[in-house]
Amino acid sequence: MAPTLPSGDQASDQDNWDNGRLAHKRQLLTEIVLRNRLTALVVGGDTTCRVLEQLLLRSYGVQTQGVDNGRDAIALIASGVKFNLIIIDMILSVLNGLEATRQIRDMGVHCKMLGVTACSGESERQAFLAAGVDVFIEKPLDPEHLVPILRELDGQ
Amino acid sequence: MDLAALKTQLKNFVQSMFEEGVLDNQFSQIQALQDSTNPNFVEEVITLFCNDAERIINEINRNLGYQNVDFSNLDSYVHQLKGSSSSIGANRLKLACANLRQASDERNKEGCLQALQLITCEYCLLRRKFQALLHLERSIVELETNQK
Repeated sequence: MAPTLPSGDQASDQDNWDNGRLAHKRQLLTEIVLRNRLTALVVGGDTTCRVLEQLLLRSYGVQTQGVDNGRDAIALIASGVKFNLIIIDMILSVLNGLEATRQIRDMGVHCKMLGVTACSGESERQAFLAAGVDVFIEKPLDPEHLVPILRELDGQ
Repeated sequence: MDLAALKTQLKNFVQSMFEEGVLDNQFSQIQALQDSTNPNFVEEVITLFCNDAERIINEINRNLGYQNVDFSNLDSYVHQLKGSSSSIGANRLKLACANLRQASDERNKEGCLQALQLITCEYCLLRRKFQALLHLERSIVELETNQK
């Protein structure tokens, strides 16, 4: 996308750089405006992934919390905190993602759950869906998968 | 070197990493998340990733040093490394993890050791390039600050 030039002026290299980056950002992040306040829990054992997933959600205006193991996720939900979306990794310490998902569903939690994994195969997909996630994706979590889910949760 | 030239150098350097397959489009997503509210986001994520990756590679090394390798434990570490590699856009490192996963699935210790060698090489290459990238970014920030 070509940078926008200020009318009547010669755009500086700085302007072109900044406009170019902004256009690139808009292209990559698929702008979405949420009408409602959405909340999400990210359950991920790997710090890099969890931080990135949380920031991606926040860039869309979703309030997020993060925990690094299944037991803390269960405890947080049991304390009464409600979420519109739970993103849960298959591999977790203490309590793995499959068992944590089953327990969350057994607690009567019906919110959207998105299962993520680094190594996807048909058996992993079937196992995670059987445990109770609604959607299963291979990492990385990207706007292509996330935006339709957020639009659905927002009633768009 | 002036600011515009430095920015061009950074852009070309990152482009070369894409062309060599060291990075993939996921890294562009991360760059896109950096803005005025998160001005150092790229550096923070790279630092987090490198700390995670080194810890995991050391753990994998340690596991493969035992006579009886716990392959399910190993698989968990490989899973983590592949996940963080794919999340940051470290394409070649992610592919190297797939080799280790396959060897681990086959309970092939020798295959795992060879795959770990490749992972270590790819990680060292990536870390060197990330260090160069961050050096350029810091130089740009310093120049921009001095010009204000």
